[in-house]
Amino acid sequence: MAQILEGTEPVDLAKHPSGIIPTLQNIVSTVNMDCKLDLKTIALHARNAEYNPKRFAAVIMRIREPKTTALIFASGKMVCTGAKSEQQSKLAARKYARIIQKLGFPAQFKDFKIQNIVGSCDVKFPIRLEGLAYAHGHFSSYEPELFPGLIYRMKQPKIVLLIFVSGKIVLTGAKVRDEIYEAFENIYPVLTEFRKMQQ
Amino acid sequence: MGSLELYRKSTIGIGLTDALDEMVTNGSIPPLLAVRVLMQFDKSMGEALQSKVRAKTTFKGHLRTYRFCDNIWIFLLENATFKTDNEVQHVDRVKIVACDAKILARPA
Repeated sequence: MAQILEGTEPVDLAKHPSGIIPTLQNIVSTVNMDCKLDLKTIALHARNAEYNPKRFAAVIMRIREPKTTALIFASGKMVCTGAKSEQQSKLAARKYARIIQKLGFPAQFKDFKIQNIVGSCDVKFPIRLEGLAYAHGHFSSYEPELFPGLIYRMKQPKIVLLIFVSGKIVLTGAKVRDEIYEAFENIYPVLTEFRKMQQ
Repeated sequence: MGSLELYRKSTIGIGLTDALDEMVTNGSIPPLLAVRVLMQFDKSMGEALQSKVRAKTTFKGHLRTYRFCDNIWIFLLENATFKTDNEVQHVDRVKIVACDAKILARPA
């Protein structure tokens, strides 16, 4: 699997002009196993499962490799969270489906879909959030009394960015990783414009 | 008031069950009495652990597997250490079964 480790491989500057590649932190995917499930049977026989129907109508299951958490519903639908790449998310979802099969349910693997991708990075300089919020008022929401970061709702690609004074950035709402990369390259020149100069 | 049958699997519980079995088998007590005694044992264990036991232990280990179903947690620990006031005990593997004490307060 081609995974870019920060600082170990040369950055493709054509794709990442900023020289920074956001790290993927979380992938949320869904799949339909297309069979009715008895959640209590699953909770009693699978390892690392939690089922508390009074609080939540799904079995919460975890595996160690890829380190992920799945929500498994009686309808046969499943949500897989926590993977660090699209392939890892799919692999994890397959492993969960296999566990369900081994418990005797005719689980299939239908309509696998990546629902959200979260990435983060550090531009390594402080940012003047007030200035940015004022200049990009249409996209920005900055209420330091409510939340210390600036919430930037980019329109194209449709990505939400959390921008912090420290220069740390969180990007979310992507269906494909290139939207994360594109959103970051879009915002990077703006961040340099509002770089806070050290006194 | 409900009580857990959890402690029947303890050393003292197994001892009591064996003794009662023997007494029922040789006809010295009726089977129903044996059942009554076991039910009282369940109740007494819960009460005794709650009110009479002051000893505390802390334990730590690598969580291999866990399960939560029907309000019961099951933990399988590896390389666990149990610490009491003056003793440290190491075990390679241990299974912890933990029930919510509040289910005792509710009618069974």
